[in-house]
Amino acid sequence: MKTFGRVLVIVIAFAILMGVTYSVVSASGSSNTAPVFQRDGRDGFAPNDGQREFGGREREGGAGGFGMLFGLLKNTIIVAVITALIVLPKNFFQQKRRAVPVKIN
Amino acid sequence: MTETITKTKNQTKTKLVIDVAIFIAFLIAMDPRSSGIAVHEWLATAALGAIVVHLLLSWDWIIQTSRRIIGKMNNQARINYVLNWAMFFDVTILMLSGFVISKAVMPALGIALPQNFAWRPLHDLSANLFLVLLGLHTALHWSWVVDTCKRYIFQPIVRLFTAKSRKDIPA
Repeated sequence: MKTFGRVLVIVIAFAILMGVTYSVVSASGSSNTAPVFQRDGRDGFAPNDGQREFGGREREGGAGGFGMLFGLLKNTIIVAVITALIVLPKNFFQQKRRAVPVKIN
Repeated sequence: MTETITKTKNQTKTKLVIDVAIFIAFLIAMDPRSSGIAVHEWLATAALGAIVVHLLLSWDWIIQTSRRIIGKMNNQARINYVLNWAMFFDVTILMLSGFVISKAVMPALGIALPQNFAWRPLHDLSANLFLVLLGLHTALHWSWVVDTCKRYIFQPIVRLFTAKSRKDIPA
């Protein structure tokens, strides 16, 4: 029962935030009939159905196992670099702090 | 007492498994060009459930830190708390924008949502931001990650091999 209550709290928090975001974006944006500008020069304007996905490449289909591995590796490296940028200096300063002898009067 | 320790150990193990699963799922879902749109969308939808479990397992920490946030508190814990809220906001926007521009999940459920100019850039922006926040989140929990992996992954493997090699030595 306790877990159910907690799940309900999380779901309600998600729903409230989604509702607020949805209303804000819907109020500020335009309708679905508006044209989308195409940068590839083929058509000046195209309806939303022709909207390009992910920088011009089709999302459907995929590039197979190697492409998936490459994508996975790329994102892992980004996360690893950010983590290393925080963890390494932090560990360095912690070790330095430990190495400094403390004078006791 | 022993029961509490066993419960905490089990919770830590569950948390490790779920966190690793969310991490891998997110890394795969972050590259829809290679995984395909259906995998991208269904995996992200499943990850939402895993995030709810992750929050449930961290519930005590969330409540305790929320109570202490105004008073005296460790700076790292405060940064961690703010970062977690940022992740929550970001993942909500990421999921919502994903649902609105959905090409597999929503049509499969028979739901049609009105499109808008803003959803696509919002989805891309929140996804990129989530990658950065995930890196920061991992960095802030790095000692926990290392300790837990040592305790539940590396040490059992080492123990397994040492036990095997002891058995192999003839008496």
